[in-house]
Amino acid sequence: MIYLRGEFDLCTGCGACQLACSNRAAGGYSPRLARLKVFSENENLVNRPLVCTQCENPFCMNSCPFDAISKSDLTGVVLVDKETCTGCGNCVTACPDNMIQLDSGGKADKCDMCEGEPLCVKYCVPQALKLVEKREAGEVASK
Amino acid sequence: MSAYMGKLLYVDLNKGTATEMPLDPQLAENFVGGKGFGAKILYDLLPAGCDPLSPQNILMFMPGPITGTLAPANRGCVVTKSPLTNTFADSYFGGHFAQEIRFCGYDGIVITGAAAEPSYLWIDEGKVEVRSAEGAWGLDTFAAVEKIREELGDISVKTACIGPAGEKMVSFALINCEYNRHAGRAGTGAVMGSKNLKAVVLRGSKPVIPADAEAFSAAVDQAYKELAEDETIASFTTDGTPASIDFANDEQLLPTNNYTDGAFEGAGGLNAEAQRKHFWLRNVACAGCPIACGKVGIIKRGRRKGLVTDVVEYETAAMVGSNLGIKDIREVSYLVKKCDALGLDGMSAGGVIGFAIEAFQNGLITAEQTGGLELKFGDTATAEYLLDAIAAREGLGDLLAGGVKQAAARLGGGADQYAVHVKGLESPAWGPRSVPGMGLALATADRGGCHQRAFPILYEVGGEWNGVEVDRAALKGKGEIVAHLQNYLAALDTLVKCDFAAYGIRDATYCRLLETATGGSWDVEKLMALGERIWNQVRLFNLREGFTRADDTLPKRFTEQPLPEGPFAGQMITLQDLDRMLDEYYAVRGWDEEGKPTEEKLKQLGLDQMPKLV
Repeated sequence: MIYLRGEFDLCTGCGACQLACSNRAAGGYSPRLARLKVFSENENLVNRPLVCTQCENPFCMNSCPFDAISKSDLTGVVLVDKETCTGCGNCVTACPDNMIQLDSGGKADKCDMCEGEPLCVKYCVPQALKLVEKREAGEVASK
Repeated sequence: MSAYMGKLLYVDLNKGTATEMPLDPQLAENFVGGKGFGAKILYDLLPAGCDPLSPQNILMFMPGPITGTLAPANRGCVVTKSPLTNTFADSYFGGHFAQEIRFCGYDGIVITGAAAEPSYLWIDEGKVEVRSAEGAWGLDTFAAVEKIREELGDISVKTACIGPAGEKMVSFALINCEYNRHAGRAGTGAVMGSKNLKAVVLRGSKPVIPADAEAFSAAVDQAYKELAEDETIASFTTDGTPASIDFANDEQLLPTNNYTDGAFEGAGGLNAEAQRKHFWLRNVACAGCPIACGKVGIIKRGRRKGLVTDVVEYETAAMVGSNLGIKDIREVSYLVKKCDALGLDGMSAGGVIGFAIEAFQNGLITAEQTGGLELKFGDTATAEYLLDAIAAREGLGDLLAGGVKQAAARLGGGADQYAVHVKGLESPAWGPRSVPGMGLALATADRGGCHQRAFPILYEVGGEWNGVEVDRAALKGKGEIVAHLQNYLAALDTLVKCDFAAYGIRDATYCRLLETATGGSWDVEKLMALGERIWNQVRLFNLREGFTRADDTLPKRFTEQPLPEGPFAGQMITLQDLDRMLDEYYAVRGWDEEGKPTEEKLKQLGLDQMPKLV
């Protein structure tokens, strides 16, 4: 089981994660098209990365009327089947962190963990984004 | 496909209209972006002799073709005619504003005219609107950003705004690009104020798409690798620019008490160690920058306890610290944040306050003009009083609001010996008396006294040039170093590079980023020719404005008053020294003895028949 964790104390707010993400997700560099966000507060004293944590009880998946969203038994990653997705937007409304949105083709789009090697983590020089591996209940190792 | 967005946005505030113009392919090919676009547009479209504070002046926000991509550490610049120097002015800013221009779909924003009422420009995904700034006018830069975010209901918008000083058209007012990132120098904020323009606010999501995405990614990784392997870059990450305080102090380059000295007994109170001790909490970076030279924190104790402040970077730590004789970084931090809030360039402000204190000590400014306050070095109250007075243009503040050159002319009585500037721009925090190449760099910088157009100190203090150790005190050879550095940095200012990242990223890698982004073909030779073309284009602008060889000079403090003590005691750059260096420099540049580019040089650079923009 893998997921991302973002640390406010280490994030410099540079947004390289969003640039790398959007380039893969949307075919070009544009932070607002990325599958993660960074919020800056108090004159940049705090930069808060907001990532999809691949919920154990995914609201996006549970709210989908067409079973287009599933959670991998192997990795725990919550994935969208774009063939099945009708673009109804239920999932977009359901996620309280706005971590799922409709892409330019009108299909639901969210973090897919880059097949296990997230680009956002690769370009996070300050190491504020971490790839976390949860092996068993209660046992968490940070990669 | 290319990383260019393919459009420039022209805004006419007289009419309140906005027009998208396709990017001229010749402009892109010969001038690339950033400074290059600004140089060509200002030369072609601004009438000669235009009053910088008149509606006709052109105010541009220019990113470059790799700004907004994952290529590390790229920025934007404001280009205009300076009200402080009357020269071409380009002022660079970090933060996230330049990137957002690209995400809005533009390779630059060109603003002319003046709004009838206080206004701000709201550019939202291709929709352009001139809105009333009634609620934000008069607010400091921090409050203005908050007010506008609130009004638009979105904290993610990117804002460039002016403070009260810009509204009052103080000649060294800055444009704030939230937070602690500014187009700081040469009075760009005054130009914005003259246009009744409180802010430019952006929101966009258009993707920037390189010509060859795969090759571009490889070039990005190479740039990341070079930054990770460079020791200077590591120092910026750890200590930020205040690491230079110790270096400058050791080498007698640190401006102290209005440049009367080059070393400061209180330097240890201003350096990285002092800043870390008193307030740093965390690193902060501009968009897409892995270096993170910013260090935001909260002052822990003392009368400034609780103040949230970013790193006091080297230039302002020196100009508002040592140059004013202030030893406690917490006090300097308080004053620099005040400059940011009022919208004043901290560097010029430090020069202006230092000037005022010396003029007061020598009887040219009296207690009658200061409301009884004795102006003195080492005194926060002096600086605070003057900053408020300048921003409001009240009394003595109005005299000082034009910068030291104008203030000295108005005071007379030999005040010019305390006015440390070149072409009206207050000198940066690198006293050049023991490093003549730096003196030449300041004398010939296109926007006046500036250390960012060439920084030969790196070579003069223990460095090599073409494999040979550079003689620090020598005059010979400095012209070549300065001209080369100016050309190289002008080329990178089209991208628009960050000065610090350029210490780590190699020239060939910048070329690779540029060619894979834009689809052209670039090598170092072509890059150097680009830089030289831009430098000459700007020179043509300044010559047209009436500048001559006589303006490529240094203030009396550096030419007539030697360093008083220390290992370089007695050193200065006499006007004869400067003349010798200028002769060599002009010759290297292919300029005549008056500093005018020869026809042959213009032809070589393709500037003789370059079509004029309309």
